[in-house]
Amino acid sequence: MNGDDLIERVLRVGERQADEVEVFCTRGQSVSAGIKKGILGIAEESETWNMAIRVVKDGQIGFSSTGDPDRWKECLNAALASGRIATPQEWGGFPKPADIAATASSADPDLVVGIEEAAGMVVDLLSGAAEHPVEVIGGGADLARVNLEIANTGGVFYDMNRTAVAVSLEAIREQSTGYEFDASPFLDEIDARSVGEAAASLAARSCGGSDIETGRYDIILSPIAAASILGQVLLPAISGRNVKAGRSFLADKLGEQVFDEHLSIYDDPFAPGPGSTTWDAEGVPTRRLVFVQQGVLQQFAYDLKTGYRYGEESTGSAVRSGSGEPGIGVHNLFIDGPRIKDAGEERVVWIHDVVGAHTANPFSGDFSVEISNPFWMEGGRPVKPIRTAMFAGNVFEMLREIGGLGKDDRRVGRLTLPSILLNKQQIIGK
Amino acid sequence: MAEARYYDIRCVEGEITLIDIDNGVVESAGTSYFDRAVVRVLGPKGWGILTRDHVDIDSKRERDALVEEATRLAAVTEDQVDIADAPRGLLPVPSLDEDPRDVDLEEKTRLLAGIEDAARIPEVVNTRARYTEGIDSIRFLDSSGNEYSYEAVRSGFSVLAIASRNGVMQMGSERDHVTTGFNLRDKQDLGRKAGEVAVSLLDAKLAKGGVMRAVLDPELAGVFTHEAVGHASEGDLVREGASVLEGRIGEQIGCEGLVIVDDPSLPEFGFIPVDAEGVAVRRTEIIRNGILTSYLHNRETLAAVGNGVPGHARAEHGAPPIVRMSNTFIENGDATYDEILSECKNGILLIGSRGGQVDPGRGVFQFSAEYGYLVEDGEITDMVRDVSLSGEILSTLHDIILLGNDRKMNPGYCGKGGQVVPVSDGAPHLLLEKATVGGRGI
Repeated sequence: MNGDDLIERVLRVGERQADEVEVFCTRGQSVSAGIKKGILGIAEESETWNMAIRVVKDGQIGFSSTGDPDRWKECLNAALASGRIATPQEWGGFPKPADIAATASSADPDLVVGIEEAAGMVVDLLSGAAEHPVEVIGGGADLARVNLEIANTGGVFYDMNRTAVAVSLEAIREQSTGYEFDASPFLDEIDARSVGEAAASLAARSCGGSDIETGRYDIILSPIAAASILGQVLLPAISGRNVKAGRSFLADKLGEQVFDEHLSIYDDPFAPGPGSTTWDAEGVPTRRLVFVQQGVLQQFAYDLKTGYRYGEESTGSAVRSGSGEPGIGVHNLFIDGPRIKDAGEERVVWIHDVVGAHTANPFSGDFSVEISNPFWMEGGRPVKPIRTAMFAGNVFEMLREIGGLGKDDRRVGRLTLPSILLNKQQIIGK
Repeated sequence: MAEARYYDIRCVEGEITLIDIDNGVVESAGTSYFDRAVVRVLGPKGWGILTRDHVDIDSKRERDALVEEATRLAAVTEDQVDIADAPRGLLPVPSLDEDPRDVDLEEKTRLLAGIEDAARIPEVVNTRARYTEGIDSIRFLDSSGNEYSYEAVRSGFSVLAIASRNGVMQMGSERDHVTTGFNLRDKQDLGRKAGEVAVSLLDAKLAKGGVMRAVLDPELAGVFTHEAVGHASEGDLVREGASVLEGRIGEQIGCEGLVIVDDPSLPEFGFIPVDAEGVAVRRTEIIRNGILTSYLHNRETLAAVGNGVPGHARAEHGAPPIVRMSNTFIENGDATYDEILSECKNGILLIGSRGGQVDPGRGVFQFSAEYGYLVEDGEITDMVRDVSLSGEILSTLHDIILLGNDRKMNPGYCGKGGQVVPVSDGAPHLLLEKATVGGRGI
């Protein structure tokens, strides 16, 4: 037994022992061509299947998952046992089927998930990298297609396809490294050759950097560097669960001017992107959510569980990673605002990426990281590499007054954002 | 069709039990199941690798079909890969003090709640505790007729406390994970410690950035060892030209007396009885008396690079083996903690770890302490918060001027190539001459 029959069976059997049952099934296929010693060295293909079951009885929520369809009964029993231990909470039921009029696409119908296709992208990556005098030390191309199905005893039965194309390349010249990547659901958005060229260019241009003195500097965080730091601190702070648990710096600041008036932050599940969807990981219809409008905090993100518990409405923000339980997240998060017309003539420190963003303190917002591929930038152009330095700051303070946003929007994972100019930031030289 | 020069199949069937208690509420508690197999074939040139759910490793027909498919994949590769012979052997898995399977979910939840509750002291506004238990059954076979199976049991928890006063929020966290049995009993003191650290950090100052003398406690010094030396000594990075330690075997890269070891055979959190390619594991001295002695290898990187010890291939379930650390540490020196503090004179004492990261090609690493204290005239003074350090692999080990005599190991998880594996790190207290501290205080 497999597919829809199995889902139906789990719902019917589970329903006899619980008030409600939900089944979330993923079926995926992926290939990956990896670069070793500057050529294609490893070819991988993977098939995955997973079923996650949630049951609710008297406000107690139980969960289990399995990778083996033959063990569905064991999985259902584990979910029921899990529910008996959970603390009971207010619960208003899984969603009913909704008339979903919106559309969202995160699948490329023409994408072929084949090793030859991935190998072809590796050729493009390497030809781009060959434009600069560097060694290629890693990278590759990944292609994936996944089918997601959700069903519950309230009658919801949705399914969707997602695709993913990802390329990356890492290059070195002497002791200078460069890493670039790109990912999209859509094949025609990926230019493997440019990614290879950009990584090699970074490694080549970063050679022979000079030292920088400790002090306060105007800096530009590239979209990659900004996404690393903000992803660690900002995303947890807008999660309703963290807000209600007293773990969010933004908790009591709804309606307040928390950030610069030139900053808006919103989740658009209908924009094309890796997280595009019309229903969230619990089957709740998604909607566009504006978290911060011109610097003013508007709302937080909720899933069903947190929503019911605290008398808030689910914002359709449930996401799942791997085979885990649903939690609060974002679909396609945008950081947006008016852009700087011209790069000033000022000399600024441009930061491509950072090392150690995951060590930032998500509650206080404090961080101190090593910076990667920093350059002195003049008149909007990188002119001279900087050898090495640290950058220390606080995310919430830093966003209160920004110098401006660039015109170079870029998608980094589920975030889409431009580079951010920040004035008088602390750089620690060596 | 081209022939397979070698193949292996590694199946991991397992159960993961997670309990999450947030502010006294049991958010979730339960067990999930997986059963993943990875089939690797070495074709005429490079690797073809297949990942599947639920493979019947005993069925010859199923094995043959998978090997054939993986061989087809391998045909697209161009990099010439060879694998070295390596000693075989399976160590006995340490017996369990108490098997977590003998403790029911209710009792586990109650014990975890006790730890979480202990963190709730005045001014703590949020507490959270998570229990993680993994029971893995591993089966391996390869085309040379090697076969083994063993069971890995892991049990542990983390506890987090957040304190808040006048809009300032600070955190304290503790964790403890073992491979030697059930690990939730009599641990309330760690909950209390998380609460106390969070509250005392409310009064801590921001560290001032710059270059200074630093004393690292054993936990942070362990992470330092892992980031500064461990990753760069991994044979796959050396083979790809992605490590500054390439070509430096026999070179003095650290102070005299410095010994750095990776030992998968120790019954610490990174223990494995055999590596993920069926190779016997043993203690590997990466650095001996300050001199780079060995790289960490799998069979492929041993053949390509040499100068090192195989048995360091590890894999997350459902992922191919790559070269990894296991239990990585600096051996004891002879300085006492008091001698180290007094020799530091003026600097900073750094405690606990929030993790780190390295760019091994550039030779630059970063790691973060949970908190620290200023050291003035050899005495500990004000508490400081949010302190990170960065360093350069090729110079930083020369900056160790004193090695303590009080090594401790700490469990953790390490990510590489999208795979997360359990590891432990350790060291005695260390005194660094010139540490770059990334604080933003003035």
